[in-house]
Amino acid sequence: MWRFAIQNLLSRPLRSLLALAGLSVAITGMVGLFSVAEGIDKMVHDTFDRIPGLGVMQSGAPIPLFSRIPRAWGDEIENIEGVHVVNPEIWTRANLINGKRIVAPPRFFFGTGIAARRKLKRDVYRDAMVEGRFLNETDRGKLHTVISRQIAEDHQVSVGKTLNVNGDDLKIVGIYHCGQLMLDVAIISDIDVVRQLTRFDANSVCAFYVEQDGTVSDEELSEAIRGRFRGREVMSRPDNPLAGGLATGHPLIDLLLAVFQWTGAARPGISGDVDDDAEPIEVRSADDWSERFDEFSTDLNIFLSVMTGIGVVIAVLSIINTMLMSVTERLIEFGILKANGWSRQNVMLLITIESAMLGVVGGACGCLLGFLGTQLFNSNWPDRIQLYASPQLLVYSFLFSILLGVLGGLYPATWAMRLSPMEAIRRG
Amino acid sequence: MNDTQPIIRIKHVSKDFSLGTTVVRALRGVSLDIPRGAFQFVIGPSGSGKSTLLYLLGALDRPSGGSIEVLGQPIDEMSPVEQDHFRRHEVGFIFQSFNLLSNLSALDNVLAPFIPAGIPSQLRKRALALLEQVGLGERTTHRPQELSGGEQQRVAIARALLKEPALVLADEPTGELDSNTGNEIFGYLRSLGEAHGTTVVVVTHDQSYITANDRVLTLRDGQVVED
Repeated sequence: MWRFAIQNLLSRPLRSLLALAGLSVAITGMVGLFSVAEGIDKMVHDTFDRIPGLGVMQSGAPIPLFSRIPRAWGDEIENIEGVHVVNPEIWTRANLINGKRIVAPPRFFFGTGIAARRKLKRDVYRDAMVEGRFLNETDRGKLHTVISRQIAEDHQVSVGKTLNVNGDDLKIVGIYHCGQLMLDVAIISDIDVVRQLTRFDANSVCAFYVEQDGTVSDEELSEAIRGRFRGREVMSRPDNPLAGGLATGHPLIDLLLAVFQWTGAARPGISGDVDDDAEPIEVRSADDWSERFDEFSTDLNIFLSVMTGIGVVIAVLSIINTMLMSVTERLIEFGILKANGWSRQNVMLLITIESAMLGVVGGACGCLLGFLGTQLFNSNWPDRIQLYASPQLLVYSFLFSILLGVLGGLYPATWAMRLSPMEAIRRG
Repeated sequence: MNDTQPIIRIKHVSKDFSLGTTVVRALRGVSLDIPRGAFQFVIGPSGSGKSTLLYLLGALDRPSGGSIEVLGQPIDEMSPVEQDHFRRHEVGFIFQSFNLLSNLSALDNVLAPFIPAGIPSQLRKRALALLEQVGLGERTTHRPQELSGGEQQRVAIARALLKEPALVLADEPTGELDSNTGNEIFGYLRSLGEAHGTTVVVVTHDQSYITANDRVLTLRDGQVVED
């Protein structure tokens, strides 16, 4: 039966090729679209997997860039049971690098407490050094910096050279490479240097990175930190960082900001009024970030499903059309086969196998093209979001294509099955 | 069923077709018995109901009235599945326009009825032997478009006989062939029918192929005028 089905498809090569093209394009589109979602998902999870500690930020701030909390609160956090290290952070935009205006991808001038940072057991940047060294005590108060390999390549600088950030020359002492779009954006210097150069409020920081000592669960530690500051007032809250012109200019980062802002705004207990139960800070673990993103990811997948659905409908119509034409042309053939003892189910099976085979080949071509497309995209734009066509996505798309093939053949098959042999011969 | 009983027993069979608001009465109360192993001709002018009768005998269609027994089985009362089974095992069809599958070789065309069930090597050998018997031993791999009309009809004969049916139904088997080739085809039908003990019912409008030993049924306007 399979050989016969293949022969039937090969006997009408142009029509089979057109049906295959329709299906392949739909599956390629499906792989391509969902590889965007998977790429974002993978990037977010890979990024936060490397940051096992807790982030303490101002409530409602989508990312540390838009957060302001009192610097002194760091000492209080350090005394909470379960805390190993508290590292203060200042994040600002690097708008000008070596005289060049930076819009996309965004670059951040990141000030970190060197002493505290050196106590961290795991440090996403220190652990990713590929050249030179990470910041140490000798860099305190000095215009020294560690930058990502991507930034070094973009501006053709190396260890020992200087990088001009927002008009100030910084000596590069090391280069890191995390391989993550969301991490390879930082120009790292001593927090006091960044504070001074950016005229950042002397009594504030953007966030604290808290490394746990492992004696208390993340949930308990988060609650303990929140409880310590509950009802206290933080300085002025940014109402809407994006509307206030603080968007990064990078479409993806801005999208993520919007997502985090939206998910943050949706959290209960966060409002503009300060009362005894008000939460001035948020404590976010990597899981929190991932969970928040998953909500967005679900919505994105619905959107992508709708987009894919359009292609899928066209593909199914193409298969139905192909198979219907094929069946109409072969009515006599089915009549003869039935006259010779083929059952209705045999005829239906033959047509379904033919359309399923279109699904198999179309799915294989579509998955291959989609996969190659993502690879091509990633190699052409390595500093953009990396598309990711996971094995699961490819398998799912392939199976989906077979399902489409079967569904596309069902109507023509049912139609042919119901014709009596005489009717088939007469119509033919 | 014993050998003395007719292989086909038709009683008062009628068949009506609706063409819009008009009802065409193709057969009107036809009754007929055909003994086992007979070579039965059904003749008559166009529109006399010859082919309709043939398709009713092969369970390709159902009568509007009357009853048809083939091999003792009331085929007009069979379910579609039973009719499929009946055609698969008991009946071989030969059509006027050969009706071979264009994308299959001569051998595969002969084997086509057995594709769903799978084709064991014994069956393939028998198909090759049949093609040899109809003089196509050297052309088994040729496709229909590479064969002459007579050769295509010989492939159709081999296809009809492969299942070793009790009954072969041929609808104008020489209608598209010249007289020499037509004689050749009837020669094969007669010899193979006799060799396999098969009952052959042939619809034709050409009476030149009829011999003295053949049974002849003449239809006119859907009724038997001579048996």
